[in-house]
Amino acid sequence: MRRIIILKRSLVSLLAILVCIVTVNLAEASEIESISFLFPAPYAEATRDLVQQFNRENRGKIKLSVIRGPFATEAMSDLAISSLILGKAPFDGLLMDVTWLPKYAATGWVEPLESYFDQDDVNSLAVGAREGNSYENHLYRWPLVADMGLLYWRTDLMKEPPKTPEELISISKSLQKNNMVDWGYVWQGRQYEGLSCVYLEMIEGFGGYWFKTNDNKIGLDQAAGVEAASWLQSLIKEGVSPQAVTNFAEQEALQSFRAGDSAFMRNWPYAWAELQQADSSVRGKVGVTTMVANPGYSTATNGSWGLTVLSGSSHIDAAVKAIRFLTSDESQKQLFLKYGYTPTKQSIFDDPFLLKEAPIISELGRALKVTKPRPETPLYAQISDVLQRQLSGILTVEQTPGNGMIHATRNTEQILISAGEQR
Amino acid sequence: MIFLLLLPSLLLLVVVFLLPLFRYSWLSFHADSVVTGLIAIPNGVANWVRLSLDQRYWQALGQTFRFAVVSVSFELILALSIALLLDQRWRGRNALRAIALIPWALPTTVMALGWRWILNTPYGPIDRLTNLIGIGSLNILGEPGLAWLATVLADVWKTTPFAALILLAGLQTIPSDLYEALRLEGANSLSSLRRITLPLLRPYVLLALLFRLAQAFGVFDLIQVLTGGGPAGSTESVALYAYINALRFLDFGYSATIIISSFIFICFACLICWFLIKVLFTPQRSFLKKVS
Repeated sequence: MRRIIILKRSLVSLLAILVCIVTVNLAEASEIESISFLFPAPYAEATRDLVQQFNRENRGKIKLSVIRGPFATEAMSDLAISSLILGKAPFDGLLMDVTWLPKYAATGWVEPLESYFDQDDVNSLAVGAREGNSYENHLYRWPLVADMGLLYWRTDLMKEPPKTPEELISISKSLQKNNMVDWGYVWQGRQYEGLSCVYLEMIEGFGGYWFKTNDNKIGLDQAAGVEAASWLQSLIKEGVSPQAVTNFAEQEALQSFRAGDSAFMRNWPYAWAELQQADSSVRGKVGVTTMVANPGYSTATNGSWGLTVLSGSSHIDAAVKAIRFLTSDESQKQLFLKYGYTPTKQSIFDDPFLLKEAPIISELGRALKVTKPRPETPLYAQISDVLQRQLSGILTVEQTPGNGMIHATRNTEQILISAGEQR
Repeated sequence: MIFLLLLPSLLLLVVVFLLPLFRYSWLSFHADSVVTGLIAIPNGVANWVRLSLDQRYWQALGQTFRFAVVSVSFELILALSIALLLDQRWRGRNALRAIALIPWALPTTVMALGWRWILNTPYGPIDRLTNLIGIGSLNILGEPGLAWLATVLADVWKTTPFAALILLAGLQTIPSDLYEALRLEGANSLSSLRRITLPLLRPYVLLALLFRLAQAFGVFDLIQVLTGGGPAGSTESVALYAYINALRFLDFGYSATIIISSFIFICFACLICWFLIKVLFTPQRSFLKKVS
C-alpha cells in the first residue's frame, strides 16, 4: 500500500516538472530563433567555443546549433545532398567546400546573399578568398576559412626549399642517396578528389590549364597537361615517392612526413598544427612554401570552406548574423591561432601581432595570392571523376600519360555533350 | 478471406519492392539531373543508348560479376567445410559456433576500415610481413591487379559465416538414420557426403547461393570504404557507379538506368544459378528408395 502511494506521488511530481519544462520552453520558443548549421566534424569542433560565445551574446534572441557531420569531404557532401533531395533539409545553413557551390546553386538549394554582404565586405577579403563564392553573378557563399595546397619541406635537411619540379626531384634523390630519408616526396595519389587538387597545381605549374569554364576548353591533352601527368608518374617510377603513394590520401601522406620518413609533403594548412604536436618527429623542423612550378607559374589549389544559407530557411537574417559572427576578425584570429585554419580577411594577414607570433601566416598569405579554383561548373564532380580515374591509371602504370590524358579529354567532352543534350 | 489475410504482406511488397521498381523504370526514360534543375524531362531511350555506349558501365559490370562469382564460390566452399565441422559433436563446439559469427556481426564499414589499415602500405601488418619474408611491399590497395582480390578477401572473411549458418541449419535437418543405414552397407564418410549430405543440402545451398549472389552483386559499402572504386576504377561496382551518379553527379535519370539494368542482369544470374544447382545436385532417387 505504502509503495503505491510513493509511486503515485512521484508520478504526480514528475508530471508537474514536465509541465513546467514544457511551458517554459514554449514561452522561450516563441521569442528565440533556433538556427542550425551542418559542419564537417573538424570545423564543428573548432567552432565550438565561438558558437557558445555567439549564443551568450544573443541569449533570448538566437540559438545557434552546429550539427557535427562526417570527417571526409565526400562523405559530408553525400550526407548534405541526401537530406536536400528529400525536400526540406533539417538545417538552415551548410559549411560548403568550394567545388560544391555551382551544383548547389544550379539546383536552387542555396539562397543568394548579395543583399546581405556589400562590396565593402567583399573588399575586406584577401584576394584569393574572393574566389569560389559566386555562381552566375550571384553571391551564395561567405568564406569561413581559406584553404590551399602547400608544399611542406624539412628545414633540417636543406637550406632552401625547391622551386621547380626538377629541383624537387634532384634534392630528393640526393637526400635518399645519403640515407637521410626513405622517401623524397609524399602526396595524394589515391583515386579521389585530392588527386585532382595535386594535378591542378602541376598542370598550372607547367603553364597549362585544366578546363576553361567560359568557352568549355579542355587543356588536359595539351603539352602541359601531359607533362604534369608524366612528372607525377616519374616521381613513383624513379623512387622519389613510394609506390604506395597511389593509395595515399592526406592522412597517409601526413603519417609518413610526420614520422620523419619523407623530405617533402603536399598537404593543406591543417597539417601544420599536426606537425607541431609533441609526438611529431619533425616538430620545429618544418617549413611551408608554395608548390614547385616552372618559374612564375606557382599555383595552390583553392580548397576553401564557406558558409551558405539554404533556400527555404525561415531564419535567413539570423543565419546571416551567425555567419558574420563566425567570420569576424576576432573569430578568424581564434580559429587560426588555436586550430591553424587560414583566415580569409586581408587585415589579419597584415596584423603585426600575428606576423610576429606565427610567422607562418606570411607564407599562407603568399600561397593565398596564387590560389586557382578547380573548374567552376555544376558538372565539376563528373569532370573531376574522369580525370581521377585516368590519372590513377597513369600512376599505377596501366597506361601512358599521353593516352591517359587523351582519354580524360574525350570523356570530359562526352560529359559536356550529354549535359548539353539534356539542357 | 484468404486474400484479405494476404493483404498486409502484399502491401509491404508493393511499397518496398514494386513501387521503387516502377519509379526507377519510369525515371530511366527521363533526364533528371543538375542540368535540368532536378526536374524530370522525358528523353526517350537516350539514357539507355548512353548506357550501352558507356565503357565505364561495362567495365563496372564485368568487375561486379567477377567479384560476385569469385567471392561467392570461395564463400560456399569455406562455408560448407565450416558447417560440416560445426555439425560434428565435439567439446567447445558451441563456443566456436558463436565465435564464427563475429565477422558477420561486425558492421561492414567498420570491418572495411579495419582491412584498409591491415592492408595499408607501408604501415600495415601485411606489408611488414611481406617485407619480413622477403617478398617486399606488395602495395595491395594501390595495384589494380591486386586491389580487387583484397575486396574479395574482405568479403569472404565477412560473409562466410552467414552462408555457413544457413548450411548448418540445413545439415541439422538431415536425419541421422540415413547415415547409419549407409554405414551399415559399408560406405565410407566421403561417399556419405556425396550421396546423402550434398543432395539433401541442395535447397540450402541454393538459398545461400541466391542470397549471397544478390548481395555480392549489389556490393557497395565494402568497396566504398576499402578502395572507393580505385585504383584506376579497377574495383568499381555497378552499385557504386549508380550511387556516384545519383549523389555526386546529381544525375538521377542515368543512375536509375544503371540500377534497372543491373536488376535485369541479377535476375538472369539467379536463374542460371538455380538451373545449375538443379542439374548438379540432383539426388540419386534409386539410392534414396533403397534406404527408405
